[in-house]
Amino acid sequence: VTFAGRLVAFLVVVVVAALTYPGALTVSMLTSITPPPKVSSPAPAGVMPWLHVEHPSVGRPYIADDRGRLVLFHGSVPADLLDFGTSGRWSAPPYPIDPSAYSGGQCPTIVDHTHYPPLCQTDLAQMAALGFNSLRLPLSWSLLEPERGHFSQPYLERVAQVVDWARALGIYVIIDMHQNAYSKFVGPGDGIDLSANSGAPGWATITDGMPSRLLLKNQREANPAVIESFNNFWYNRDGIQDEYIAAIAFLATRFKDDSTVAGYSVFNEPQPGWNLPPGFEDLLLFPFYRRVIDAVTGVHDGLPCPTGIFMPVFCGYRDLGVHDLRHMFFLEPGLLRQMTDFPTHLGLPLSSYPNLVLDIHAYTHGFTLEKLLNPNSDPATATYPWGGFDQTYSLGEREARAMGAALFVSEFGNDPKYDTLILSSELEEQEKHRVGFAFWAWKENGDSGSWGVYDAVKSGEAAASGCVRPARERQLARVYPRVSADADLSYHYDSKTGAFTLKADGRSGDAPTLVYIPHEVSGAVAAAGGVAGISTNPDANGGRLISVTPSGGAFSITVAAAPLSLASCA
Amino acid sequence: VTSPNRERSATRALVLGLLAMPFGIFAPFALWSGVRSMGRIRASGGMLGGARSAAIGIAGGGLGLAVLLFGAAYWFLAS
Repeated sequence: VTFAGRLVAFLVVVVVAALTYPGALTVSMLTSITPPPKVSSPAPAGVMPWLHVEHPSVGRPYIADDRGRLVLFHGSVPADLLDFGTSGRWSAPPYPIDPSAYSGGQCPTIVDHTHYPPLCQTDLAQMAALGFNSLRLPLSWSLLEPERGHFSQPYLERVAQVVDWARALGIYVIIDMHQNAYSKFVGPGDGIDLSANSGAPGWATITDGMPSRLLLKNQREANPAVIESFNNFWYNRDGIQDEYIAAIAFLATRFKDDSTVAGYSVFNEPQPGWNLPPGFEDLLLFPFYRRVIDAVTGVHDGLPCPTGIFMPVFCGYRDLGVHDLRHMFFLEPGLLRQMTDFPTHLGLPLSSYPNLVLDIHAYTHGFTLEKLLNPNSDPATATYPWGGFDQTYSLGEREARAMGAALFVSEFGNDPKYDTLILSSELEEQEKHRVGFAFWAWKENGDSGSWGVYDAVKSGEAAASGCVRPARERQLARVYPRVSADADLSYHYDSKTGAFTLKADGRSGDAPTLVYIPHEVSGAVAAAGGVAGISTNPDANGGRLISVTPSGGAFSITVAAAPLSLASCA
Repeated sequence: VTSPNRERSATRALVLGLLAMPFGIFAPFALWSGVRSMGRIRASGGMLGGARSAAIGIAGGGLGLAVLLFGAAYWFLAS
């Protein structure tokens, strides 16, 4: 073999290695030893405490407040700001974008046959009444950047309006760059119902002429045009990934100093395109997340690379000048993880930026393999996932720890007929693993099979006239610790009896543990053990916020069993 | 002068070696093919060619295996 031959062989190996796992591993290990960025300026004064991800020397990272206490989110996901496709019966978006249509308590009339009623100020009050302290707010890129390079100020103001409503009620907002089956612009076709598609604008939907048709019945993602569009996004065809990063930077610029915004959910349910796991996540998706973080925070975790073309695994991204070093980034693994409840990546650290949250969708027996393969399978007797409801949480904890991220369930939900099995099991697992949730969906039009917290809202009725479903009020309006200095606490709420128990360890001088008790629960509160003080603060909704200050050692907080007073529907 | 015959498994080693870096599962097969192929080429005294492909198979397979082992170790230690 000649010298030139050896050189060619060497270069081939080096180039392929750089583009694949050896490159991914090298960048990942470098980011894990890079010191986190320092925040030099004091936090802008906000109505709500700034949140961050705490990294204890032992144990899993967790979402924490400005006093270092574990913060648990309870909330829901209103889907009303999304830009779904036309069904032939309405033109999307069905509700006004202009915030003035919602000001002063106004609420647009429900449009016939859309999936969701409009999101109005009363909705936020209803969330607060259920004890929710957070909401995940899905947006559509197509409404944010309808023309390439031109961002919609009215849409941004509409988002800001919801954030303002949330701030007034002490609710944190996770701004979610949402998509369903990539975009409503993937094209019509046989069996295609674009009313379930949302996400990218038309100019960023590159199907390469792939047909828009379903390869699997009722699976909107199993569409060649959708798959090709995703593929083109991951490979940054025509610079569309650059535009997406710019869109997130646009949002971050607006909310940089706003502590009500907990952070940004960068990409909802990322579909792999034509790529296989684990390479999809480790070589395409997570490096993309790293670039978003680089662009918004100004950290430099990857190598400088040209933009506008495919950016390999080792590429970082240029500083877009936002310098947002306070918000969290909620990072979702690929869609296949949701379908399998199993990690589809190696859990490699992806950024030196510390405020990262791995957000998973827990749809066990809703969208897991056995249900997708046999829609009639009974969740009560399903044999997959092998680890039952616990599988996605136990593995999610391990994934988050490996990545140096906190864990959050950014979506879970189910057909109401399975509330006693699926909803209660999911909530039990979330307590066991001390992880917060966002329930899908807040309100949904349709019939008794719709998934909303509220009964389906029919057309012609006032926007908020749907009734909260009793089974959901019983289970979602829970007693829970909102914050605690003990991140390893244990707690359990029994939605049948209204009884609650919390056990934690405290040190003298620790900040108080705050337990929220919704108005539905009337049982007496008691604290025992190392407790220096306990106080009860009623809220405007009839709920109680219990503050327990530890004095040192183990302590417990209990709420006695008592019949629930469900508001349900008048 | 005739060019040497190509050793049969050298191409297989090349392909497996390149695949081993994105898909570590191929790494042991790439190493196995590459080492065997290289051994036959050396033993042939110049009668068999394909050493460059076999070398890529060995290098790619080795790197892929190292990453696979490191990745697995990282997962179990860090998670």
